[in-house]
Amino acid sequence: MKIIDFHTHLDDRWFQAPLLSQDEFMAGLAEHHIDAACVFTLMGFYEDCPAHNAKLATRAAQSKKLLPFFTVDPKLGSAAIAETERCLASGKFFGLKFHPWIQAFAPSMVKPTLVEILQRVAAAGLPTLFHDGTPPYSTTFQIAAVARWIESASIVLGHAGLADYTLPAIQLTRDIPNLYACVCGPKPADIRHLVDIAGPEKVLFGSDFGLSDSLILADRLDSVRYAGLNETELEQVLWRTSAKLLHLDDIPGDPA
Amino acid sequence: MDSARPEIIDSHVALGVEHHLHLEAADYLPAMTANGVSMAIARPTGAELAVLNRAGNDRVMTAGPRFRALVTANPWFGNAGLDELDRCRRLGAVGLYLHPTRQGFMPTDPIVEPFVQFAREADWPVVIHTGTYVQSDVLAVAELARRLPDLTFICDCAGFSDMWFELPGVIAEVANLVFIASLIWPRAIGNTVKNVGAHKVLFGSGEPRDSLPAALKRYDRLDLTDEDRRAIFSGNARRLFHLA
Repeated sequence: MKIIDFHTHLDDRWFQAPLLSQDEFMAGLAEHHIDAACVFTLMGFYEDCPAHNAKLATRAAQSKKLLPFFTVDPKLGSAAIAETERCLASGKFFGLKFHPWIQAFAPSMVKPTLVEILQRVAAAGLPTLFHDGTPPYSTTFQIAAVARWIESASIVLGHAGLADYTLPAIQLTRDIPNLYACVCGPKPADIRHLVDIAGPEKVLFGSDFGLSDSLILADRLDSVRYAGLNETELEQVLWRTSAKLLHLDDIPGDPA
Repeated sequence: MDSARPEIIDSHVALGVEHHLHLEAADYLPAMTANGVSMAIARPTGAELAVLNRAGNDRVMTAGPRFRALVTANPWFGNAGLDELDRCRRLGAVGLYLHPTRQGFMPTDPIVEPFVQFAREADWPVVIHTGTYVQSDVLAVAELARRLPDLTFICDCAGFSDMWFELPGVIAEVANLVFIASLIWPRAIGNTVKNVGAHKVLFGSGEPRDSLPAALKRYDRLDLTDEDRRAIFSGNARRLFHLA
């Protein structure tokens, strides 16, 4: 079965702690039969976004299996919009990632800029994934509010409520047509309920691989596999929902 | 790596109903048997955790011979809650469970003091849910543990999700603070064992939210010694809950 991991991080370090090398990252994907991975920065959420976007694009260019998402800091206003336009024009990115908790903004604080950015990303046909599940800036309700602001945008809850917001995430994903839930953290019973209530076409798989080693990838795949999904639901969650958001018809292949 | 599993005690099972989560003792027994779990430490959930404590405590105390009861009393019930704990002690309960978020208090609130003092006199460990912001703050539980160094405090859920980064520091600093590794990811467990020691970690399945076989696989993938596995899977639970 084809698998897209919609939530990974490819970066050198998290503050002083080194992260996986490119070879280790690719080996982890291969070990767990991941056909493609959406890759995000980590230090780019704390530091100079354009520099980290450029670095991520360069790393991701080494394999067609790596689908980079850019990030911007909406607190910077017009500079963030300009960086969004630059990244979209480059044709190198498959989506936008925000981590409001780490990037230190509540979406409502920067609403005018965020709306401008998300309108551009939606017009380009790309999804936007937000970290969710963590107060004070990334509650699942805060991210769902963003989806209501811009109905043309495909907004992904990056953790489907994570731990304490899983039930609201399930209800909001059901109720908001352009809101999707990436099951990166929820456990099997949560995932079963999410698929039952919101529908498998609103649910996609992610792992946070790269922030931790490949054990987390194995563990989060297990959360989906032990959720009691049938084959059709499993294929939808592991592949089809993500493929639709990313406009992929098939597995992106590297030259032999 | 030796992935053979020793005796297994599951230190995190919630019996009852909470929203989409539902588990009865009889329904869990086949999974316990199939996965080699000899005993489960069960606590109430949902309304029986928040307000209907006697019903929840009766549920876990009558779950059967392979279950041990981790009972609760909402500290806001005051003396009536203490009376309920005394009833449970006489019926063989093995520990006190508190959920600051569901029950509506801060671990350091004065209303909690008589309840942890009761646990101290009963020689019970105190298991406290951690990981949910504000009330279920890992650092608040650590503060309580610092005030009562001769009483063991067990952080359930290991600070999952987004207080996980606080746990390694306080687990190392506070001798009487340990955690049940339910819901947390494998490397966080492995790093604690490596940096602090296996005596700080108890196995818990997280049922019914998580899956027992999925939880067990986390440990199969970690490079743990046989001694570490014995401590995590049963030795620590036997010692802290005083299990025969």
